[in-house]
Amino acid sequence: MATANDDEILEGFLCPICKADLKSATQLTNHFETQHAEEQDLLRSLKDIFGKAKKIILNVDENDLKDTFDRALKINTQDNNSWYTEETQTVGVSRSSSEYFKAVRSARLERYATETNKLLIRLDKLVSNMPNEVNQRKQHEQDVVPWLDGSSVKLCPNCAKSFSLTRRKHHCRLCGSILCHDCSLFLDFNVAKGIVDPSAPQTLTPDHEVTEKNGLRLCEHCYMLIDLRKQVQDSRNAKTALMTAYEQMRSLMEQASPAVAMYEKMCQSLFDGESTYNLQDVNAMRGKIGKLAEGIDLLSKQVSLFPANPGTRQARLQNSIRQAAANFIKGDLLSLRKLPTEAQIDEVRRQRYERAQKKVEMERQAAEKEKEWKEREGSSRDNSVQHDDELNPLLEQMNIIRGYIKEARKELRFEEVAILEENLKELKKEYHFQMLSNKS
Amino acid sequence: MNVIQAVKMYITKMTEESGPGMKVILMDKETTSIVSMVFSHSEILQKEVYLFERIESHTKCDNLKHMKCIVFIRPTSENIALLSRELRYPKYGVYFIYFSNVISKADVKTLAECDEQETVREVQEVFADYLAVDRHLFSFNIVGCLHGRSWHQQHLQRCSQGLLALLLSLKKRPVVRYQAGSEPCSRLADRIKELMRRESVLMDNNIPFNGDVPPPQLLILDRRDDPVTPLLHQWTYQAMVHELLTINNNRVSLAHLPDVSKELKEVVLAPEQDEFYAKNRYANFGEIGQTIKALMEEFQRKAKSHQKVESIADMKNFVETYPLFKKMSGTVSRHVTVVGELSALVSRHRLLAVSELEQEMSCHADHADHLQLVALYGLRYEKHASNALAELVEALRGAGDGGRGGSGGGLSAVLALEYGGAHGLSGVENIYTQHTPLLKDTLEDLIKGKLRENLYPTVGGEDLSMGRRPQDIIVFIVGGATYEEALCVHQLNQTYTGVKIVLGGTTIHNSTSFIEEIKSAMQGVHRTHTRHIKNV
Repeated sequence: MATANDDEILEGFLCPICKADLKSATQLTNHFETQHAEEQDLLRSLKDIFGKAKKIILNVDENDLKDTFDRALKINTQDNNSWYTEETQTVGVSRSSSEYFKAVRSARLERYATETNKLLIRLDKLVSNMPNEVNQRKQHEQDVVPWLDGSSVKLCPNCAKSFSLTRRKHHCRLCGSILCHDCSLFLDFNVAKGIVDPSAPQTLTPDHEVTEKNGLRLCEHCYMLIDLRKQVQDSRNAKTALMTAYEQMRSLMEQASPAVAMYEKMCQSLFDGESTYNLQDVNAMRGKIGKLAEGIDLLSKQVSLFPANPGTRQARLQNSIRQAAANFIKGDLLSLRKLPTEAQIDEVRRQRYERAQKKVEMERQAAEKEKEWKEREGSSRDNSVQHDDELNPLLEQMNIIRGYIKEARKELRFEEVAILEENLKELKKEYHFQMLSNKS
Repeated sequence: MNVIQAVKMYITKMTEESGPGMKVILMDKETTSIVSMVFSHSEILQKEVYLFERIESHTKCDNLKHMKCIVFIRPTSENIALLSRELRYPKYGVYFIYFSNVISKADVKTLAECDEQETVREVQEVFADYLAVDRHLFSFNIVGCLHGRSWHQQHLQRCSQGLLALLLSLKKRPVVRYQAGSEPCSRLADRIKELMRRESVLMDNNIPFNGDVPPPQLLILDRRDDPVTPLLHQWTYQAMVHELLTINNNRVSLAHLPDVSKELKEVVLAPEQDEFYAKNRYANFGEIGQTIKALMEEFQRKAKSHQKVESIADMKNFVETYPLFKKMSGTVSRHVTVVGELSALVSRHRLLAVSELEQEMSCHADHADHLQLVALYGLRYEKHASNALAELVEALRGAGDGGRGGSGGGLSAVLALEYGGAHGLSGVENIYTQHTPLLKDTLEDLIKGKLRENLYPTVGGEDLSMGRRPQDIIVFIVGGATYEEALCVHQLNQTYTGVKIVLGGTTIHNSTSFIEEIKSAMQGVHRTHTRHIKNV
């Protein structure tokens, strides 16, 4: 077990709460029971994982016991459920209103969209070559957006208070309309740059107050439109470290499911006495699944350790992900079937071999009889073309395939092994027939 | 026709349509129950749904823009308002909205106008608008659907919508029949027919016509036709748990028991997630004890131990001393606790004797004896403030002269008497389970195509397929179904191959909730007979 930390990497039987090294699994469990009694749930999952892991490692005989339980629990599921299993049910009726929804939405948003786009173009012009000098800046702003003539405006259009010496007239830098200082909102220059050029490095929202000095004066309407656009932008690239870890974890999970299915298939094939896979293959596969489980465990732990205030949704989310990963590992990856021993395999193979041998013997006898019969007929036309074994294309091909199999085995691509083995078998058969036909 | 499967498939569809990524599901109170009836927490976690939020909760907005939000709510006006608020200030990145029933265009428009940030990807109607209790059993969890002997308006609305959803989710276009003489039944039937007509385009586009198969039948019955069944003590496992401990949305609370462990405070009994329960929910109380005992003995043999398992108390000890057993058969240990509590209640209330009397009364006695029992009750609790005498009398009277018709007549006593007579010589198999619900006879008649049109008329005139044997049957009992009837439907499903029956009710009753139901139904009804009884 290893915990990834920013400054150092700790190893050993670590307590997940206080990070103390406890030297052994039993000590860790004891420590946990005494020190962190309130975290019982975690403890249980810890114990479960240890138990399962131990079972996997030692192949403890508990599986036998479980089998009997399963049998006891499943005596007559079949006759009980026969009625239900027959039918295939398709997903019920549903109706989509998405089209209509989107039509209404876009009709409404189109007005906003054109306006927002106009504002964005102006914003781009404003921030891209903004002079530093205050007077030049004012000139530049007026060049981009013509300001409204304020001579006839007596009241602030927003709060309806009259303008005076203390309540001065101001202009929105995007639409040029008039408003008072109290009604103005300011958009930080850096934020504005981020909006017009999303590829630029994103600065965090400034913690200092935005004033006229470092921001653009906007009216409420323009500010809302720009802010909306910004939020949409933010949500589009809201990809955090948490997301990356999560996605990695999911991709491992996706790899794991076919791996488990493959393992089951290989296991079954061994039990059936087929020679497609050997015990080392299956063990390697088991190892691979174990690695995946480890990876998922590690990543989910990472996810759960991201900082989040307890009680918030974020914290609950991280816990749930961790729990889901633990369930997945326990349910799908650690409950693998026990492998047969070499002796068992040999026994099954021997039986199979004997059966095959008998069949071959019978075929041979039949062929011989036929041959005798033919010979008796007296038409011994020999001189059929003598095949040179070295030059037989079939043999050559078989050798090539054997090479492929070796390679695929090395890289744990067992689907390929199965296909290649199948090919090899066919070739062998073909070769066999050829030989027979040559002889006769 | 598997209602659990139907709801499950809808929910799976929702999680799949939103694609990969972390998901949160936003629900209202009712849809939360709908989902929790068919999926366990761990199952839904595997579908990448990590958070469960209620639409009415006002939590502070923490930024979860990286999450996809699946909204699954009923299309009520409150929910639309709440969802509008949510869309105006979205907490999550993308929204996939699913309504559990038909939604009006105006509501879609309202929502579309609130979605200024363009976060909504899908708006759909899926028809998972009922609680799937078992594969062949559904409910709406409404106790007290009638008020003054006629429908509560909102409950009528809920039931008709829910039944429409059921038909759409199972893809059935049925003939609607109802019990003649019952005003609530006929009103509900009319409502459903009306809704079906309104959604005829949706139905015709999605449900293929097939002339070779007789059309499915939706049969609407009245609980008042058979008030006996919910009052009897039950001896099959599921029904017994409900009667004595009360099952609420597949959950049983054991919190009132002394020294019960933390994880057994609330026990989930869901046939889909609990194999032991699925197998034994219709088994007799005695059989369950045997099954558990056999299981433990098997284990003991394995564990090479020789502790005796004789009584239920022994079983409890056993579970506590063998943690391994607990781990491997977690479900069984749960059932040991439940069965233990049941057995304690049985002996405390001397239920065996009570039940025997009940069965005698309901199966072998005539109407006069019922009056006698009610009268006894009346005398005993005359001074008791909250006595339910008036309701009982009314109920009995309703049962006597109400919409009763059908094959049996009179509280199924005649039929039951026949059974009693037939078994009389060879000895009754089990004196506690003699009673069979009236529903069984009604359904058998329907299956054989012999249910009479004048007693169970079809909405919208004579049914052309009259006399043909229907293959798919949906029965709905206004006033609530019982687990005994669920068992009966289960048995019918097994007996008649090719026939598939689904049972539903406004709720699933035990005797307590049934008394509540009667009280509500009799509210505001003038009590005519009370005076007589008092003078006895």
